[in-house]
Amino acid sequence: MPPSGTLTVVSTKDRSVVLASLPVVAARHPWRWVGVAAVLVLAAQFVHGLVTNPAWDWPTFARYFTAQSILTAVGTTILLTVLGTVLGFALGIVVAVLRLSKSPFLQAVGWTYVWAFRSIPLIVQLLFWFNISYLYQRLSLGIPFGPEFVSFETVELISPMGAAVLGLALHQAAYAAEIVRSGVISVDRGQLEAAAALGIPKFRQFRRIVLPQAMRAILPNAANEVISLFKGTSVVSVMAIGELFYQVQVIYGRNARVVALLMVATVWYIILTTLLSIGQHYVERYFARGDRR
Amino acid sequence: MIEVLGVHKSFGSNEVLRGVSLDVAAGEVVVVLGPSGSGKSTLLRTINHLEKVDRGFVSIDGDLVGYRQHKGKLHELKEREILKQRRHIGFVFQNFNLFPHLTALENIAEVAPLADARQFLARVGLADKEDSYPRQLSGGQQQRVAIARALATRPKVVLFDEPTSALDPELVGEVLDVLRDLARTGTTMIVVTHEIGFAREVADRIVFIDQGVIVEQGTPAEVLDHPAHERTRAFLSKVL
Repeated sequence: MPPSGTLTVVSTKDRSVVLASLPVVAARHPWRWVGVAAVLVLAAQFVHGLVTNPAWDWPTFARYFTAQSILTAVGTTILLTVLGTVLGFALGIVVAVLRLSKSPFLQAVGWTYVWAFRSIPLIVQLLFWFNISYLYQRLSLGIPFGPEFVSFETVELISPMGAAVLGLALHQAAYAAEIVRSGVISVDRGQLEAAAALGIPKFRQFRRIVLPQAMRAILPNAANEVISLFKGTSVVSVMAIGELFYQVQVIYGRNARVVALLMVATVWYIILTTLLSIGQHYVERYFARGDRR
Repeated sequence: MIEVLGVHKSFGSNEVLRGVSLDVAAGEVVVVLGPSGSGKSTLLRTINHLEKVDRGFVSIDGDLVGYRQHKGKLHELKEREILKQRRHIGFVFQNFNLFPHLTALENIAEVAPLADARQFLARVGLADKEDSYPRQLSGGQQQRVAIARALATRPKVVLFDEPTSALDPELVGEVLDVLRDLARTGTTMIVVTHEIGFAREVADRIVFIDQGVIVEQGTPAEVLDHPAHERTRAFLSKVL
């Protein structure tokens, strides 16, 4: 019980005046500092090991990192990534459009494509293409079940590199189709209605109105896919194509410097993935241009 | 100029339009009033074929919208032809539907040459905002850009679907000013709105819709001050 009403009022008022004049201190987080210290110690140990442990074999790393054979292999890896991405997304857009079409038949075609190529492991599919000439010795153009006009030896038409690009692109297209479709269905219905009400032709609607907006949802996933494909190209080493991973295997098969050469490949993969991530940042910023206030 | 005859439209078992007929003359301003769910928006959307009709037809200057008559049947047109027809019918949405990745000017230039786009933007008083993205504009400004965009295909008629319903009260006036200006300069307009004051001032004719049928129509003085029908009176007593 307060001694009297008047006194309480006065003291409450005094208290408010005092409170309003006190400095504010942010909450302390001592455990954060413990965590920081622990991570720093671990990081220091790791760096120390990299420098002092002779098994990392940095001289060998340095000798091979910019060797001509490695640079050529990096070029092949980049080429496979670019072709796989461009062809994969080009076909992926087509498959996405099929799946989004109003025709049940085209929807089914798109769905079946995605189903088939997501079901087959990439490495299995690549080996199929690599060995396609066992199945079909000759490929020909002509009337189905009728006469042939031109015909090729399958081995001549599909080189190992061709088989690799084909396999990567077909595989990529299935995933790209779903990424593109997810982007397109994320665009507000009102946008399509507005475009339709303005009488903008269908293809132009897709290219000018839908796709630029869908890109915002597509890009993070697409960047994931490109980076994943970039490292996934190492799978084509099973077809004896001289990409980065195959090349380092060849070299360490000869000189047994396994760790140093794996580090050569690792560092190249890290450098190029970093460049892709930086590129992603700028492309995303471009497509977010209407979002700034 | 616009003829709507016996239009029926159902969504599932819900019959939204139950035989609506409406004629609009060139230069006429028709305001459509009615309670929510009465079918006013659906009626507008059938006029530019955003909704297909189940029965009845819409024609503009004698041309059927969305269909072609052939041997006693109405054949639905290909999408490409419908899109071409829609350039004669401007449509302004309640929530603007500007393209957010394009500037105000680019939104209009999507359907008109650049010089024309500038003129239309100036006409709604936003010449200084041509490089602004929709998100950088107020709701009222966005709707004015949307109106400019709807005018840019030089349509024969402009349909307004509750153009001020998504706006803060203090922004309604600037959009209604644009509509007034259009009405004064002879634009043929059909406006669905809840702004009774605007209807009284600008409409040549007011059409009152309830439960999918036109209950009554006439001059603002007739419909607003001396409604003939009980349902109209009940509606007006709630909104006036």
